[in-house]
Amino acid sequence: MMDQRCFNSGLSARFLNVGLLLVALLLGAQRADAATLDEVAERYRPYMIEGIGQALAGARNLRASVAAKDLAGAKKAWLSARAGWERSEVFTAGFVPELDAQIDAWPNADTGFHAIEAKLFGAGRTDVDSETDALVDHLSDLHGKLHHMPLTAQGLLDGTTRLVYEVGESKADGGESRISGTSLDDMRNNVAGIRFAYRTIFAEALASADRKLADAVNGRIGELERLVAVADLQHVDIPKLRRASEELVVALQGASTRLGLQRPTLEAASR
Amino acid sequence: MMDRGRIRRSWIAAIAFGSFVMGFHGPVAAFPVDGDQTALPAKTELNEDALDKPREVFRSEAGAGGKSHMINLGNLAFSSPGILGSVARQAGMSCSTCHVNGASNAKFFIPKMSTRPGNFDTTGPLFNPKADNFVLDPVRIPSLRGARYLAPYGHDGRTASLRDFVRNVIVGEFAGPEPSPEIVDAIVAYINDIDFLPNPSLGPAGHLAGQVSDAERRGEALFVKPFPHDPRLSCAGCHVPSAAFVDHQQHDVGSGGLFKTPTLRNADFNAPYFHDGRYDSYDQVVAHFDRVFDLGLSAQDRRDLIAYLTAVGDGVQPYERDGAGAVIKEVNDFTLVLGTAISAKDTTIIALAVDTIGSELRELTERYPDRKNTNVAGGGPERALARTALKDLVLTLRRIEMAATEGRFSEAAADYKNYRYLMVAAVPAVLAGAAPWSLFNPEVHDAHYAALRQVLQAKRTAR
Repeated sequence: MMDQRCFNSGLSARFLNVGLLLVALLLGAQRADAATLDEVAERYRPYMIEGIGQALAGARNLRASVAAKDLAGAKKAWLSARAGWERSEVFTAGFVPELDAQIDAWPNADTGFHAIEAKLFGAGRTDVDSETDALVDHLSDLHGKLHHMPLTAQGLLDGTTRLVYEVGESKADGGESRISGTSLDDMRNNVAGIRFAYRTIFAEALASADRKLADAVNGRIGELERLVAVADLQHVDIPKLRRASEELVVALQGASTRLGLQRPTLEAASR
Repeated sequence: MMDRGRIRRSWIAAIAFGSFVMGFHGPVAAFPVDGDQTALPAKTELNEDALDKPREVFRSEAGAGGKSHMINLGNLAFSSPGILGSVARQAGMSCSTCHVNGASNAKFFIPKMSTRPGNFDTTGPLFNPKADNFVLDPVRIPSLRGARYLAPYGHDGRTASLRDFVRNVIVGEFAGPEPSPEIVDAIVAYINDIDFLPNPSLGPAGHLAGQVSDAERRGEALFVKPFPHDPRLSCAGCHVPSAAFVDHQQHDVGSGGLFKTPTLRNADFNAPYFHDGRYDSYDQVVAHFDRVFDLGLSAQDRRDLIAYLTAVGDGVQPYERDGAGAVIKEVNDFTLVLGTAISAKDTTIIALAVDTIGSELRELTERYPDRKNTNVAGGGPERALARTALKDLVLTLRRIEMAATEGRFSEAAADYKNYRYLMVAAVPAVLAGAAPWSLFNPEVHDAHYAALRQVLQAKRTAR
């Protein structure tokens, strides 16, 4: 894990805080400035690189385990890769839609996480060499793009909001990763990604513009965290999770105005 | 990337969903319930993916009238997992999971709660452990068509009042919280409005009418003929043709106790038969009575009785194809309840309506697969637009509920007006535009569920 404090401290961050405060005062309407937020969005880049880095490292370990016909090792590597991916879903669908669709295709994909999941966890087979090669290639391709990919606060707010909505989807059927039984981990990693993106990019600006709304957003992210901090998927209170997800989306929609951004899209956007 | 030209921009403008969209991620929910992490046991079958749904006919809509607020509220509550206990809520099950559109669900099956598709142990351990009687004694899931003619209630006829029966299903069988009197009254009003499907083969007093075959005539004669070894009995003695083919009594017909006479109206669509659903067909039912009452029926007699039962049990258009139109029609009825509740500042009903309608719309969203779904090619922009439209409605509903909870009823009313406006024209048009690539298209539907089954089968095989 990277040290998150490095983003929240230091001289540059203090300058940004002062800048944000000035912008808010100058505008009078207490709206944050979108251009400034785009600069703040850069704070998210190391987290993004680290998350996909974990996914890539896991996929490479998976390839090694598969080559050695080591089923237990392959499963462990898949889970590690998956965790890195799920933390990164705040940006994947919006910023790299094609790679996202290949890496996370569902339900009976030829390549990607779920294709490998079905064989490893479903059939208990390790003959996933070509699928794993493709996953490593896709993740490697993605990892290479991350250093120079333009990041925008709008895009990250869109992605955060969409992921919040998705966390509230029904898991009555066992959820997305039902074969590996890691749907709850997916949700936790999603929520961790949501928390991090919000805290890193938007929290300060929103607190300056609208303290009450910032508190509401914080509180509802906390509610999501509490709801997924249970022993297993059966114990996630599904109706409450859905409500919390929708209330947080509504709050983030309200936040977009206060931040000088457009209302977030509900499907991966091409603005 | 998407083909922007394929989208009707007028729709986008009309519904003002903001910027242009592409598909996003989210697995289709609700079927098949499987895996080890669900609220229900592995291999549960709720049959929620069926493309043909039982058709529902309402008494109040037979003439120029329409459904009352109470009936719509009852239908809403009947469709709401929120009125039941935690296991049902977790699984997204409501009354309508078993009684699909007020009929039955012949494929419904929960391991250790069912012994065969179509039955269910109402005193089993899963939904209310406190009501568990430690024996697997499931009963057939009955159709509720014509229920107002069919008292007493329960297969053993133990409850005279439908109101008492409904309350017991909620609290006793499914461990729900004590429902308000208004909710119970509403569900009773709804159930009492579900009519039998019309059957032109039945004339006055339940006699066969119209073009009647010779076999049906002979069957009708056998039906009223006294049993050879006990002339006090006949089929029609209990299944009284002039009284919806029931006598409101319990009888021992050699099936293990006293059970009430079931109606024969629309029974062609009510299999399995007998209180525990032990029989699949009229053939088996007739053989049972022949055996138990020593009727001495010839093969021809049996065929004639089956022909008669089939004519009596028929109904016009028993199923209808599921589609966005059917879902929207029902959701619009529920929405009327929401409007009334906003006017009345009734936050309890507002919350119930928002949760129930929102769930229906979230499920409908998953009928338009996202771009990651491997079984759907084409229609990406249309599907994304449909998904966006439905998600926007879900969030509009949530805003209504949040505003009402905080006492901002004028805001809730304004959002409600906006919601109604979208549901009248824009959303149906958007959904129609995406229909070819939706799970309402049988080809897409079959490919998607075949793929899901294949993936899940791999897991079962490996076990």
